[in-house]
Amino acid sequence: MNVAKVLEKRQQQWAELEKLCDMLEVRGQDRKHGAAGISRFATLYRAACADLALSDSYQLPPATVTYLHRLVARAHNRLYRASRIDPTTWADTVLRIAPQQIFMDPCVRVATFLFFGLFTLAAFLGVNEQWFPDFVPQLVGQEQITQFETMYEKPVSGSLDHYIAMAGFYIMHNTGIGLQCFAFGILIIPCLFKLAFNAVTLGAMFGYMAREDSSGGDNFMHFVTAHGPFELTAIALAGAAGLRFGLGLFYTNGLTRVQSLRDAATRAVPIMAASATLFFLAAFTEGFISPSPLPYLFKAFWAIFSAGLISFYFVVLGFPRDDRPFLKNDGTFDPFANDESL
Amino acid sequence: MSTANALDTTIAVVTPENIAFEYQLAGPFRRLPAYLIDVATRWAVILLFVFILLMIGVLTNISSFGSFLLATGMVIYFIISWFYGTFLETYFNGRTIGKWACGLRVICVDGRPIDGTRAVIRNLVRIADIAPFAAASQFYDDASTLIWIPTGMVGFISVICTRRMQRLGDLAAGTMVVVDEKSWRLPVTKIEDPRVPALAAYIPGDYRVTRSMARTLAIYCERRAYLTPARRREIAMHLTTPLIERFEFRPDIDPDLLMVALYHATFLSDSRSEPPALGPLANASPLLRDLKKQTSELGTINLREQQAGPVDGPLIATAVNESADESAKESANESANESAKESATDGAVHS
Repeated sequence: MNVAKVLEKRQQQWAELEKLCDMLEVRGQDRKHGAAGISRFATLYRAACADLALSDSYQLPPATVTYLHRLVARAHNRLYRASRIDPTTWADTVLRIAPQQIFMDPCVRVATFLFFGLFTLAAFLGVNEQWFPDFVPQLVGQEQITQFETMYEKPVSGSLDHYIAMAGFYIMHNTGIGLQCFAFGILIIPCLFKLAFNAVTLGAMFGYMAREDSSGGDNFMHFVTAHGPFELTAIALAGAAGLRFGLGLFYTNGLTRVQSLRDAATRAVPIMAASATLFFLAAFTEGFISPSPLPYLFKAFWAIFSAGLISFYFVVLGFPRDDRPFLKNDGTFDPFANDESL
Repeated sequence: MSTANALDTTIAVVTPENIAFEYQLAGPFRRLPAYLIDVATRWAVILLFVFILLMIGVLTNISSFGSFLLATGMVIYFIISWFYGTFLETYFNGRTIGKWACGLRVICVDGRPIDGTRAVIRNLVRIADIAPFAAASQFYDDASTLIWIPTGMVGFISVICTRRMQRLGDLAAGTMVVVDEKSWRLPVTKIEDPRVPALAAYIPGDYRVTRSMARTLAIYCERRAYLTPARRREIAMHLTTPLIERFEFRPDIDPDLLMVALYHATFLSDSRSEPPALGPLANASPLLRDLKKQTSELGTINLREQQAGPVDGPLIATAVNESADESAKESANESANESAKESATDGAVHS
């Protein structure tokens, strides 16, 4: 059989497929070509697939087979594209699946207990000047304390441009730390360290500023009350997302380690998204409400309101309900699953 | 589903069309330039936005607007530095600008394209992959302690230790980076030598090339351009010596020429019913039984070849017309071949 003749005949179609591949490189080009173009592309792709499948029996030269592998791979990448994010499922994901999944996640509970436990402990140690006089200076350093106190000596006030700039800074800085906390979850230790470090430092500063004799304590409380609930929950959730992620490395649940890590990462994404949202809300609160000369009553009301909002989302929406039968915890519909809870 | 060759950087993927095709994986040193280009692009985009914001600030000249621009700048910095890769990989089907420049693409390990969630995960985890960080003050005493230089050791070790060359972000997202170059030359070896179809016409019709032989021939003909004639002969001899006996060809046929002729007969020639146009080589025969006849007619052939002009060399490589005694020459040639083979194998064994 004359391979050169076969190649010559097929080569035209391969060249055409390559040309179509080049054209379809950019998303949106497929519309320009219309249904006929797409169908032509699919036909050519299937023909190339068939050629590759038959290459062994055709005894094609190895270099041609390599070429076909590359061609099929390229066309495959054009034909099966990244699925676009479907906005119609967002509401369901955000309002039903995500809170329920976060509520059910033991990592969130552990991270929240760890964070708020350490925070409370550090605050308790910090506020007791008689029993633990050296705790805060040893933890944070005397320099930092002095700097911190001078920062809050003046009552909070500021102009609008100052607020806006600060909001931008908080989004950039704090959300960045939250995302880092999540990413370092794969190495577990840095994530836990970041979580614990933030808990202890923040707790110690809160405790120190809550002392009767601390200078600027009132101003400090005035500043932190409004964004406290958002910010602290966000840090705890970022740690939880990292923990969920890293746990997949060793708590494999019968899967291979890599598959388990992959599942854990997918499950950690809603927690991370919730954390990032809270960081954004905290940044806006911290930028606009916290430094403003609004009465303390309003800031306290805002704190209570935000705490209520968080509770509503994670507890009321997140409480496991059986509103759709045969629904697994991760939100997938599976009527034949062996559900042990029933 | 997918298996890797132990010694190769390809990985097979089975498609819905039930075809297993191979991807070539991208190693750390193909990915590093892509990453550096991405870092440069990211900063270029950020600086471009800063420049635009500055221009707006200068042109509008409203005092309270400045801090708004500052805040916008910081939010843009945050979004670009964290979500540059995510955005591009989702919208350009697994490619960032650096990957596009280096001919790389991110795909799922099962060959499907990357989706949004996976792109988010693999790009967020990059911060863990470029860890651990070295403080700049370790290298320059007067450098600020706030500057941290990523060493990327975590990702590097992960890439060289995993079968699909994945960094931690790839492992977590279930993705891999493959080579996806834009154009591949279709390699068909062209044979110009007019002696080849002439010799191919004498290959017996009942000889069928086996599958492995066909592959060997193709590889040989693709690579022979990079070898010297002596080396070609040395390599080809191992296959052609038994074939020459089987075809009843003269023992002094150029082994390289016979390999090319076999390649021609296997891949390039038309059906055997159609005799090739031999031109000046019409009377030349490689067959052993024609050798005697041919030597007597050599003068005429040589004359014809000279007339024909651009024929690279005589059909038969080793000198034919030196000795009139066939048997002596044949045995001498065989012994020479044998000794050459022996010396080759000896060299192989002893080295």
